This record gives sequence, structure tokens and C-alpha cells, in this order.
Amino acid sequence: MSVLRALAAVPEAVVVLALPPLLLSIIAKTKAWFAGRVGPPWLQPYYDLYKLLRKGVVYSRTTTWVFRAGPIVNLAALLTAATLIPILTPGALLGFAGDVILVAYLLALGRMFAVLAALDTGSSFEGMGASREATFGTMSEPALFLSFIVMAIATRSLQLSEMLGPQLAGPWSTIGPAMLLVVGALLIVLLTETCRVPVDDPATHLELTMIHEVMVLDHSGPDFAFILYGAALKFLLLGSILVHAALPHTGWPAWVDAPMRLVELAALAGIVGVVESSMARLRLNRVPLMLAGATVLASLAAVLTLTRSAA
Amino acid sequence: MSAILASLAVLGCGAALAAVLGRAPRAGLAAALLAVGVASVLCIGAATLRLTEGTLVAPITLDWPLPLGTARLALDSLSAWFLGAFGILGLAVAPYAWSYLQAEIGHGPVAALGALLCVLLGALILIVTAADAALFLVGWEAVMLSAYFLVLFHHGRPDVRRAAWTYLVANHLATALFVVPLFATLSAAAGTIDFRDFAAAAHNSGPATCVTLFVLGLIGFGTKAGFMPMHVWLPVAHPAAPAPVSALLSGAVIKIGIYGLLRLLSWLPALPPGCAVLMLAFGMASGVLGVLYALAQHEIKRLLAYHSVENIGIIGLGVGMGMLGQSLDQPALTALGYGGALLHVLNHALFKGLLFLSAGAVIHGTGTGDIERLGGLAKRTPINAALFLLAAVSICGLPPLNGFVSEWLTYGALFGGALHAGTTTAGVAALGALSLALMGGLALACFAKVFGVVFLGELREAGLRAERTPALMRAGMTVPALLCVAIGIVPGAFVPLTAGGIGAVAGLSAAECASSMRPILAPAGRLSALAAALMGAMLVVALLRRAALRSVGGVGPSVATWGCGFALPSARMQYTASSFAWPLILSFRQLLWPGRRTVAPAGSFPAHAELETHTPDLAEHDVFAPLFRGIDRCFRMVRTVSWAGRPALEAPRGNAGERIGPLRVIAGGVLRALRRGSVHVYLAFLVLTLLAVFAVESLESPGPPAVEAPATGAPNGVTP
Repeated sequence: MSVLRALAAVPEAVVVLALPPLLLSIIAKTKAWFAGRVGPPWLQPYYDLYKLLRKGVVYSRTTTWVFRAGPIVNLAALLTAATLIPILTPGALLGFAGDVILVAYLLALGRMFAVLAALDTGSSFEGMGASREATFGTMSEPALFLSFIVMAIATRSLQLSEMLGPQLAGPWSTIGPAMLLVVGALLIVLLTETCRVPVDDPATHLELTMIHEVMVLDHSGPDFAFILYGAALKFLLLGSILVHAALPHTGWPAWVDAPMRLVELAALAGIVGVVESSMARLRLNRVPLMLAGATVLASLAAVLTLTRSAA
Repeated sequence: MSAILASLAVLGCGAALAAVLGRAPRAGLAAALLAVGVASVLCIGAATLRLTEGTLVAPITLDWPLPLGTARLALDSLSAWFLGAFGILGLAVAPYAWSYLQAEIGHGPVAALGALLCVLLGALILIVTAADAALFLVGWEAVMLSAYFLVLFHHGRPDVRRAAWTYLVANHLATALFVVPLFATLSAAAGTIDFRDFAAAAHNSGPATCVTLFVLGLIGFGTKAGFMPMHVWLPVAHPAAPAPVSALLSGAVIKIGIYGLLRLLSWLPALPPGCAVLMLAFGMASGVLGVLYALAQHEIKRLLAYHSVENIGIIGLGVGMGMLGQSLDQPALTALGYGGALLHVLNHALFKGLLFLSAGAVIHGTGTGDIERLGGLAKRTPINAALFLLAAVSICGLPPLNGFVSEWLTYGALFGGALHAGTTTAGVAALGALSLALMGGLALACFAKVFGVVFLGELREAGLRAERTPALMRAGMTVPALLCVAIGIVPGAFVPLTAGGIGAVAGLSAAECASSMRPILAPAGRLSALAAALMGAMLVVALLRRAALRSVGGVGPSVATWGCGFALPSARMQYTASSFAWPLILSFRQLLWPGRRTVAPAGSFPAHAELETHTPDLAEHDVFAPLFRGIDRCFRMVRTVSWAGRPALEAPRGNAGERIGPLRVIAGGVLRALRRGSVHVYLAFLVLTLLAVFAVESLESPGPPAVEAPATGAPNGVTP
């Protein structure tokens, strides 16, 4: 039975693994369209990954095995998290009661090793990026957990695939405002964790203003390919959580459900592209305020949900 | 039980031998540490037998006549759990201490230290196995005095003498004002000092007395455990001792505070939810403030000591949820809460012991614990670095290691409380989950800082010796390291062992305990599958990297780190720990009141600039110091002879920099925040007001009773 189930998951797994770079492409194309440019080819992120996988690596004399382990642990943690999050279909491969906490902590494990790999270079620029990544990652965690709590209370479940499943349609009709606040908080978390505008600008050229890009300055070759792919995969994972929370599908046949999720994810990438095109990056000391704002949004949602579910 | 007596006898002999052999320190130390090792093995054996025997077997009691009357020793599952944790730590410390203290032979009272270690371990065993109040208090006092003298090992240094004195004063005050009255009340109600009669006495003495007893225990035992704001002695005393002693103090000694609290709860009937909320509040305050202060520290052992405050807070969250489960009569919540707390007691003993030992190896090898002077030690002491990283990943609660398992249970209890309690208590549980998430993130930042700055990059201070870690020290450290991995990967084998302890605290029968444990055990098994998946994924990615590199002919040449065009990077230009932590400290400045002193570069050709950050402990400087100054002044006013001279907890003057005390500016601060027009502040006030309104409302009309389903009782098979 479980073997059959695993086999049935193979096509979805293939699509999920192939999808992430395409989402980055959609963002790039949206930004290009806003700027009146043609933009890079649709498959450019794939070409980049292929190129990097065929290059050698150069390591700094300062680094140790921690630097080499960083990209591997980061990508492995994200891949494991992908088995717990519903992406195209409502179910998750290895979900269990309480997996929602594991997902959050797997993301944290990836962050820990990314930060350590940056500190291993001994470069002050990368240390600065690592410090910012640790700061903003820490401050987005309460908003993420509060959003999870709201969905857990609304669906009476601690399993992510159930919290984001069709059961969420009920809460949208009873505590719609709270769910709206949760979606807002999750969008801010997504933008922070994936290092997009207004938190971080992936297109900037000045190291002093970077966060994620400056952390990975010293990585090269396959290691760098893993990091780029991991960043795209993280966007897919957090984007899936957001899309499933925002638009519960009840009673849809599988052949409509999965393609619609693809469309929604593409639309989300488009929205992020619009955000990137239409606003500037926040000043660094403004970012914690925005994350505190996300936490406040999520706590308002929690208060609404708690009083509503008790009434 | 005979194993307990044997271990006490062995420790007695060890202490006596070491005391007699004071002239031959090497032999004395060897005898004492051998006794510690043997006693630890006996403890682990006794605890394992007791815990695997099955849940809830009648305690074994042994009577013998003593001057104080009949002394009773008993070993139930709760005692056995703590005994096992102490034993494992003792086993790690014994070989480590032998190697660590070699350099001290001839300089310090090494044999006395060995004898005191024996006394400390014996007193710890006595506390957890004591079955009457007199014996418990004797053990309690023996732990306090032996720890006091152990902290005093480097007694030539004034800061060490101050630290030990602070420790003694704080703990004696708590014992005299709270712990002794607690036992006096219980003994008066029961008519005996036998622990077996306390439960009946507490049940007969009415809810008001029970709440009073709980509050006495929370403050008295909480001071020993190091809950905020009674923690002031902890970050002072723990770093002052030699590393093996610090490991025992943080790993074992503060746990007897938790043991006392749990033992007290086992006598009390289910308390009103307000008590659970109080416990949760202490847990949240200790956890969040503990890790924030840790983030602000620059001395490695002081940083670790503040993390002990944080982890005691996490244990407190578990205990609070267990109490809430009891008062709401939800066994699943009780099992998750107390189970998480008990497992975290063991886990914290393992990874904090390992961290202190590893930090001790750093200090032993370099001669300094100031992390701003260190760096790049991973290249010189790779095994010590790997052990520190393992413990750091554990303490941050990251999968697949043991810290995650106990935090996961605690989260389960907190989420379960948010799902199944009335509005106000559910709100508190949600707040607990929120603060636990915040603690997790901050701990990650803090350990990324300390591991990154101490072990990665380049050595910051040229000329600092960086010796290798001796083999015996490494051997001692592998004991907790292996267990950290084992509990993380096979939690299904360890989580069921907490059942007896949970039953003892909550007064559940064996059948109730087993049924309430069931919803935990199935997901605990799934954690193993996920740990395997995680390691499998790492293997696949690593193999992919290897294949990719092989196709292009391997790794390229080693070069200098890319300095963004700067050609001559030096080790002094690396990011410092203070700079790494400063954005977070600044974000939480309303809680921490950090101070900084700057000498700005001036003139056209600036040559000199300074930046110094420091974050003094609010509870110490703005609560206890004024309090003791006030008490002092009262004594002087009634013209009593001032016997104390200078209050023990008074702040040393003159190092406060530009910092202004928070109480003086808090009114102005609130007004300024209101005037500043920041949307987030307004939103925060809005939420607080809403919460207050709802709290008042739900107090007036009690919310609906708890829902039937257990916390994580949801179906947990593979989803379609």
C-alpha cells in the first residue's frame, strides 16, 4: 500500500523538483516586463545551474569542512521539508501529527548552516550578511509560528497537510478576517525568508547593502548551484504554504487541482515580481519593524480566532 | 536500591581518601574521580533498571535509625530519571576532569576539589532519593555548600570570591525564606516528615494552602533552578568555577530545583489554571530574557550560563503545560507537558554539559574565554569543534538531534493547549508557543555567533596559544555527544521512559499513563523516519557534489577569501561577535537596555576609535541591588549594627558607561513611544488592549469546558 502510494508520488516529485527555477524565471520576466525589457530566456535559471554543476570549485584557505557542509545540509533540510508540505496535491509524502514544527525547524537548520558557512570564510562582508540573515530569520519566526497556530486552531490539527487542506474552507467563511491577516503575515515571511524586495534586493551590486547574496560570495561551482537551487526551492515551499492557506480547494478533482496549484504558484511569483518592480528596498533598520508588524498581524488573527472558536 | 547505597559508600570513600591524600594531590584526585566514575555507573544502572522495569511500581523504601529519626530513601521513576541524568554527566566529567586538572596540580587545592566533587554527587543522589524532609534538606544544604567551595577553586581572584558569595547568599535566602517554610507547612499539616504522608496532607488542607505551597516552591526551588528574575547568581557563579564543575553545576545542580518543583507537584492536587499560567509566565520570561542576555555576552562560559536560564525556561513551559493539563483534566496535555519537561531535563544535562566541557577545552587550550580574541580553532582542534557544533545544534532544538525531540513535545503541549483550552488559557499557551519559537530563533543566532567566532575564520589574536584537546577530555565528551545523537535519531526508545516520571508527578495510574502516552509515541516513531530522510538527503546531495566535481577534475586551488577587491585582509578585520549580535540586541533594546561607549574617529586623519558594548543584567542592577540597598538603609535607620557591610548583590560602580537605568526613563519612554507615531507601536497597543478586554470578559464568564479530543490525537498515518 505504502509502496503504491510512494510510486504515485513520483510524478509529483519530479514536477516539484523541476519547478523551483521556473518560478525565479517568472519573477525575472515580470520585472523585465515592468522595465520594458525582454528579460533573460525562460530557461536561464536552468542554464545557470547546469553551468555551475560543470565548473570546478575554489576554496579559501581559511575555510574548513563546515564551509563544504553548509550548502549540502541546507539543501538536504529543504528537500526533507518538501516531503512534509503539500505542494501540488493536498497530501504530503511523510506527514504526521506535529510535523508543522519539524518544517519550521528544518528551515532553521538550513539557515544555521548557511550562516556558519558564511562565518567560516573569515570575511567581514560575509559575517555582516550572516548577522543580518540570523537577525531577520529570528524575527520572522514568531509570525510564522503564530500563523501556524491560527491554522491549527481553525482546522483542529497539527499536521501541515491537514492544516492547509480542504478543511481550511470552513475557517475562511467563519473567521475570514483572521485568515486574511494570516495570509498577509505569511506573505511578509515569504519575502523575508526568500530574500526578496523589500527586505533584500537580489539585483543589488553593493555588498554593503546585501543580505543573502553577500553571505554566499565565496561559494562556487556545484556548491553555488546547490545554494541557488535551494533558494528557489525555499520559495516554492513557502509559496506553497501561502497559496494553500489563501485558496483552499474543496472537492476538486485531482486533474484540475494540481494544475490550478501550478497556476496559483505562477501567479504568486508574478505578484512578487510586481512588488519588486514597484517598490524600493527598505532601509535595513526598518526591516525589523516590518517583521514585528507581521507578528502583530498574526497575533491579531490569533486573538480573533481564539475568541471566535470559544464563542 | 543497594546500588544507591553502594554509590553513596563509594563516594564517601573517595571523598575521605582524597581528603586524607591532600599531600599527594595526584593520588587524591585519582581516587576521587575514580569514585565519581564508579558511582555514576552505579547510578545509571539503578536508574535504567528502575525506568525499564515498567511504569509505576511501588517505591522501594529502606529504613535505618539516625539521630534525626528514621531516614528513608526511596527510588521511584521520577527520582530514577534525575538519577540517570546525573550519572551520565558524572561519567562524562570524571575522565575529563582528570585531564583538565593536571595543569592545576601544584597550583590549586586539586585533591580538595576531587573530594568536593564526590560530596556534590553524593548530595545530589541523596536529594533525589530522599523520602523525608529532613534528609532532603540535609542533601540540599550539602549540595549548596559543596558547590560553594567548588566555585571558590580559584579563590585568589576577587571576582571568583564575589561570585561564590553571591551564590551562597542568593541560595540561602531562598532556602531560608521559601523552601524551609514550605516543608515546615507540609510537615505541620501531615504530622510527620515522611514524604508518603505529604500528599494526603496537601489534599486535606484546602486549595488556598495548596496555592501558597506552590508559590513558595516556585520561588524557593525556582531560585535554585535559575528562573528569571531569581537567576542573578547563576551567570555569575557558573563561569567562575573550573569547566568540569561548571558542567555539573549547569547540567545537574540547577536540575534539583526542577526536581523539587516536580516532587512538590506530585503531592499537590490539581491546582487552579492560574498557577499553571504563573508557571508559564516564569518559563516565558526566563526563556526569552535568558537567551537575549546570552546573545549579549562576550565571555563563553557566561554566555552558556545564560543559556541555562533559557533552557530552564523551556522546562518551565513544559511543567506549566503539564499543570494546565492536570487542572483541565486532559491527560494527553499532561503527558506532553511533563514528558517534554522531563526529556528536556535530560537533554539539557547532555548538551549543556557537553558545551561547558567543550568550552573548557577551548579555555584550557588557549588560556582565554573571551570570544572576541579567539577564532579559527576548528582547524587546530577539529574534534572539539565538531563536538561543540553537535551540542550547539542540539541546544538550538534543530533536527535530527535530541533538543528537537523535547522541544517538539513541549510545542505539542503548547499547541494542544491553544486548541483545547478556554480562551484565556489558550491565549497564554499560544503566547508560550510564540516565545518558544522566538527562543529557538535567538538561540540559533547566538550559537551561530559563538561557534562561528570561536571555531571558524582565523585566530583573531596572533600569539595566542591554541593547543590540542587531550584524548581523555575528548573521551569524556563523547559520552553526552553519543546520547545526543541517539535520542535525536531514535526518540521512540527514550520518550516512553518518561512515562513513569509523568505518572509520579501527575498521580496517574499505569493504564491512564499508557493511554495518554499513546498519541505521542506514534509521531515519535515518525521522527526517526524523518531523521533518516534528512540524512539520506544529505548523502544524496553530497554524492551529487562528488560526481559533479569528479567530472571536472576535483577541487581547484586554495586561495585567500574574496575580500571584495581588498587585497590584504587580516584576521583583525573579521566580523566580531558584538557586531554579529548587535542588530538583534538593538531590536530588543526595550527589554535589555544595552549600553555602548564610543570614541568616534575625529579630524581629517583619524587614528583612534573605540566601540564597546555591554548589557548588564536588569534583575541584578535594577531590582535586587536597589532592594538590598533599601534593606541595608532600613537596618541603618533602626540603628542596628550593619553586619553585612556592602550588600552582596550590589553592582560594582563605574562600569555602567552611558547607560541610564530603565525605571528612571520608563515613563518618558512610554510617552515618547506614543508620540513617535510608529504604526507598529499602535498596533501592539491595540492587540494588548484587545487581549486585556478578552481576558477580563472570559474571567467574568468562564469559557466552555475543554474539548474531548487529545492534543495530538489526530490520525497520524501516511496521508493520501
